[in-house]
Amino acid sequence: MKLRLLLCLAVISVALAAVAAPLRPARRPRYGGTLRVEIGAIVRSLDPSVAAANPEEADAKDELDALLYDRRGESGTFVGAAGSGPFRLSAWEAGKSAVFAANEDYRAGRPFVDSVEIQMGRSTHDRLLDLELNKADFARIPAELARQAADRGVRVSASQPDELLALVFLAGRTATENARVREAIARCIDRVAIVNFILQKEGEPAGGLLPQWSSGTAFLFPTETDARAAKEIWSQISPSPKLVLGYDSADTLQQSVAERIVVNAKEAGISLVSRAMPNSSAASAHTGSEAPRSDTIHVDARLIRLRMPSPTARISLAAFVDTLGPMAGIEADPLPENASPEDIYNWERGIINSGRVAPLVWLPQVYGLSARVRDWKQPAAGESWPLAYVWLDSTTETH
Amino acid sequence: MRRLPRLFSLRAVITVAFLTFTAWSSQAQSAAQIPPEWNKALDSLADKIATAAKPARTFSLNVKNISSLSGTDVASLREELVSDLAARKFRITEKPPSDGQLQISFSESAEDYVWVAEIRRGDAHEVVMVSTARDVVRKPSAAGPSITLQRKAVWEQAGKILDFGLVSDAGMEGGSILVILEPDKLSFHQYRSGEWQLTRAVAIARARPVQRDARGRIDPPAGKAEMPDAECSGNFQHPETVTCSSAAAVQEVGFVTKPISIQGHTVDSYVDLGAACGIGPLTLITGPGDWTEPDFVQAVRLKNQADAASEKLQFPGPILALWASEDGKSARVVSRNLQTGAYEASIVAVSCGD
Repeated sequence: MKLRLLLCLAVISVALAAVAAPLRPARRPRYGGTLRVEIGAIVRSLDPSVAAANPEEADAKDELDALLYDRRGESGTFVGAAGSGPFRLSAWEAGKSAVFAANEDYRAGRPFVDSVEIQMGRSTHDRLLDLELNKADFARIPAELARQAADRGVRVSASQPDELLALVFLAGRTATENARVREAIARCIDRVAIVNFILQKEGEPAGGLLPQWSSGTAFLFPTETDARAAKEIWSQISPSPKLVLGYDSADTLQQSVAERIVVNAKEAGISLVSRAMPNSSAASAHTGSEAPRSDTIHVDARLIRLRMPSPTARISLAAFVDTLGPMAGIEADPLPENASPEDIYNWERGIINSGRVAPLVWLPQVYGLSARVRDWKQPAAGESWPLAYVWLDSTTETH
Repeated sequence: MRRLPRLFSLRAVITVAFLTFTAWSSQAQSAAQIPPEWNKALDSLADKIATAAKPARTFSLNVKNISSLSGTDVASLREELVSDLAARKFRITEKPPSDGQLQISFSESAEDYVWVAEIRRGDAHEVVMVSTARDVVRKPSAAGPSITLQRKAVWEQAGKILDFGLVSDAGMEGGSILVILEPDKLSFHQYRSGEWQLTRAVAIARARPVQRDARGRIDPPAGKAEMPDAECSGNFQHPETVTCSSAAAVQEVGFVTKPISIQGHTVDSYVDLGAACGIGPLTLITGPGDWTEPDFVQAVRLKNQADAASEKLQFPGPILALWASEDGKSARVVSRNLQTGAYEASIVAVSCGD
């Protein structure tokens, strides 16, 4: 009887110890397993020489090609043989799915996972659901849904804010050639409300073209709204023009922000309407791609997303100006390679003071991860998904 | 990988001081402890302020810190700047009236500290700034317990480091040779003209690519560098004698320690040291995070229940390798700095505090 009691107590104490001290995941990486990735884009070809149909496809293709190719050329395009990278393509169904197998001979060492399975064309809703149900290990989540995803139990990983959503006053439009018109609109925008309500606090108001973590000087660019000043400026403009703000029809965030700006403008007495632009002409302009065209539909200003190609302030600012220049008629001398933070600030200040672009918010890149994904480190601006470093904790179950 | 900017170039870092944990008085926290690079930047900032502020002479001063600098650092910097401005005949006043307002913001970019001065006089608003590198080696300011861990940074580089060691230089009295084991080579650096200079690199040829979590260990006295699938041997004091070859079979034994449980956490990276400061034997352990997180080294006594014997010595990234040194009182640590991406080699030693 005593023995049974002791045995019983021992079992209970072991069970309690297990609860009190849950096993920590081992830090030594393990090899094996398949990483299940879901993306929203439909990638038709992995051939770097085949152009993508839209920026979303271009982005996804770039990430997939980074698994296959070891390096890029000076222009940023992939060079060498497919399969020289950490993975090799083992199955491909254009526009639907792909399987990448670990390259045993990769010069930097075989990736930890045996393979990466990609499901394409998954809607945001489906990606979130699959993460929630543990049917996917890795998927991108729109920044504005990050909080919702976390509330639903999805493990969320957000980068430093490295994507700028900005309003660009298009060059050659009579109405916005008036600097007072541009100033009135820029001043009436409530950036804090955009961050708090539309982005659900997953972002930062933007006053400059570079985020604080990159330049260290973003705090010098105010982000406050000044509806009263906007109203006063607008009242002095005669005749007051009617303006059209364009946004990418495929971008729900842009649509929400455009509608919010229209409300802000209305409060300041500004006549502004929002209009969807077709995806092919108005899709988000990522740095390095061709500047989007806004001439297929008349708009005076438009929203644009700009992803930083590098954490380095000088490189990103130069890239942004390359994209914005032709659209907004911004002309600036090139920044020297040894530009100091003060040089960069003065350059940025000059562009902001021109009033041709109104920065709105900074967005992070947000990813959902399953519980078994280990050693996932957010890629820095300009880097690809570091999936070769990721390993899967075999102690965590999948469905 | 997409275009990656310059993050770092290979460079040797010989620290000018051990990171000691001896107690420093608050007076000792004065501007005198500011690294020379910071002093230079402040001097330049004072010059710029002086030029921009003329003809004003009296300013109210407000300082804010939006960087990773500590409050103590900022207080020292403020003190030094006020002194620099005074030397230029500018006076900082606590109470109005003043000729203008001076707002100093200690900020930082992805690469540097950026110190900004905003000078307001009436409607006029001028901005001047300076920048200085963030990776300045500092003395810590914290007081320590009876056992303290000291970290001496020895080397940092962009490429992966598996282990490192120091041996005396047979060719130069009092000189040293730094041996760095990387996945694909063993390199020897001699200290010449105030810096480490690469004198020889022995390639490690393999039949297959190296493993992604490559491991290796150097035993300088024995003249050996071992990896699961390769080995180098020779007299490390005479680098020209060292040769490397691949092993016939992968041998993992000796590179992975058996995990131990300490206060409910599984620790799989640790080393045993001898007794120190009347306490011992001691074990150095690392933190429980994965390779995406900052880490620490802490001395514990494993006798009875594991008692912490020192404060945690923080590292700005994961510790990738931890090996006991021959003296039994220190350990070689290879870590990765998550802020710079650089691999860092350092020696962590146990010392007796005040």
